[in-house]
Amino acid sequence: MHETGVVLTDIRKSFGSLEVIHGIDLRIAEGSFVVFVGPSGCGKSTLLRMIAGLEEVTDGEIEIKGRNVTDLDPSDRGIAMVFQSYALYPHMSVRENLAFGLKMARTETAEIEARVKAASAILKIDHLLDRRPGQLSGGQRQRVAIGRAIVRKPDVFLFDEPLSNLDAELRVSMRIEIARLHRELGNTMIYVTHDQTEAMTLADKIVVLRDGRIEQAGTPREVYENPANIFVAGFIGSPRMNLLDAVWLGNGRVRVAGSEMSVPVTGEGLQIGEKVSFGARPEHLFVTDGGAGCIPAKVDFAEYLGGTQYLYCQLADGQPLIAEYRSGPEINAGSTIALSVNDNQRRLFGADGRRLT
Amino acid sequence: MTLSKMNRSNMSLSSRRRARKAFRAESTYHATGVAIALFFLAPFAITLLASFRHGTEARLPPLPPWPANGISLDSYRSLDTFGAGVWQHTFNSLLVSLATVALTVAVSVLAGYGFSRYRFPLKNVLFVLIIATLMIPFQSILTPLFIILARLGLNNSLFGLTLVYVTLQLPFSVFMMRNAFDAVPKEIEEAARIDGARDLKLLFRVLMPLVLPGIATVAIFAFLNAWNEFLAALVLLSSNEKYTLPVLMMAVRAGRLGAVNWGAVQAGVAVMTLPCLVVFLLLQRYYMRGLMAGAVK
Repeated sequence: MHETGVVLTDIRKSFGSLEVIHGIDLRIAEGSFVVFVGPSGCGKSTLLRMIAGLEEVTDGEIEIKGRNVTDLDPSDRGIAMVFQSYALYPHMSVRENLAFGLKMARTETAEIEARVKAASAILKIDHLLDRRPGQLSGGQRQRVAIGRAIVRKPDVFLFDEPLSNLDAELRVSMRIEIARLHRELGNTMIYVTHDQTEAMTLADKIVVLRDGRIEQAGTPREVYENPANIFVAGFIGSPRMNLLDAVWLGNGRVRVAGSEMSVPVTGEGLQIGEKVSFGARPEHLFVTDGGAGCIPAKVDFAEYLGGTQYLYCQLADGQPLIAEYRSGPEINAGSTIALSVNDNQRRLFGADGRRLT
Repeated sequence: MTLSKMNRSNMSLSSRRRARKAFRAESTYHATGVAIALFFLAPFAITLLASFRHGTEARLPPLPPWPANGISLDSYRSLDTFGAGVWQHTFNSLLVSLATVALTVAVSVLAGYGFSRYRFPLKNVLFVLIIATLMIPFQSILTPLFIILARLGLNNSLFGLTLVYVTLQLPFSVFMMRNAFDAVPKEIEEAARIDGARDLKLLFRVLMPLVLPGIATVAIFAFLNAWNEFLAALVLLSSNEKYTLPVLMMAVRAGRLGAVNWGAVQAGVAVMTLPCLVVFLLLQRYYMRGLMAGAVK
């Protein structure tokens, strides 16, 4: 785990005069599962494709297992990639699809057969080997696509939104399958998705990207609990974190929607009266009987989901807020409640978006 | 009891009625199809049957169109007396047509691939320029073509004629192949690059099978156009033994000393039709097949 699997040094990418990746530095530990997340157009797929060698690097260096691969062909980098659209060869049987890369590398027939057999056993597709991709279901095709990556025995697996084309149920089971695969094979995996659940459940390390820059890289827990800035705070978590306009009162206190409350922040460099953002996740808000440090809110709309309920509220100054409500007496639209959040779950962000500590 | 019996008889009655209705609809459908097929096949059948009439019978009015006094190959024999013999001219035509197909497919596959996948300056201008040549009637450039071929020492040569046919065929074929390559998802090509297939290997092992319907279309059109072309062959070829079938047919149709041998004409039409049918039947299954099913999504 300590040896470095993939190292990106000051990676830049321009299309014409437009720079889309602005100097990315990243170290990915060997054997770890790294997920790139971000809104569409943030450059996560481009970054993955540069690691794969499908997109030229304008500036910077890519190292895989200590080897500089920046200018190498995709097939010489020790990578394998699984595409969103599967990208199977439609005119070949599953067996030929799996074997194609090895044939191109002039691997011995016996070795090819053994590897195809092993991979199809891992993925439970041995009974499909003589079929064409057109005769397979979506889930089976994705397995074949993953199998095609496995037989290459790559140093690094690259996944480009591999589950986006599957239905919800299949997505969950394939997600578990990929996690199992990572545990069994132990290779470095880099995974691109815009689905937070996939990111949170699969990753050892999440890299949050925006506009071609890394906003934060850390374990799922770090990213969720200690977001580095307002963007990461809003992007990770569903429903997203409530970010409320607040005023710094000094001495670890802020005013939010007319209520005063304390925050676990020293407030160094903050001026009294300065505008800040107060952050609280919906799942951390709870309904109280009122008292100090709570925010009164009017429930506009209540969404009942069975195990939980989302309350869409409006604060005294008109700001919207979402709170998760798990148990207790039923709350209906139109009622007024008092919400609070534990001290250690209150977050504060400066006007520049940075997290304040 | 009576109720259930009645229900059953009602059911069988209605299902019988449904079956009869379906049978009627089906027979109408097939009868219409057969009628249309007969309408289109009749000219071919009449020509083919008439070509097997006796020599004397061939000069009579064409009713009934089939041989009345037994089958004979007289018409084919007399066709062979025109020009340098029907075998020679058939060979010329086949040579030119097949060479045209081979060259057209080779060039248009490479060009279509290039236009579809590579980025280079003036790409679209160049493409439009190639397509624009479709607007020039080829008769208008026959004279310059003749002069160019003469300068190259290729006049009165089947190779020269082939080059002219390929040139005329290319704009459509390049357009066709570009579209065929455009329809192949980029990811398949990228997956192949990761698998280690590069350049020509990528083209032949992965992409060619996927654009086969396009290639079949290009091949069919190239063959038919080269096989049937008359004017360029007449103008650019000058010696008797080099003529292609359409030129021979013109001579047969013109007749000798004012007398047209209609039997020979029918035999010639039959000889000219056959290869077109064969080529189409050979390639039509690729022409129809949707190979892309299951590639992506």
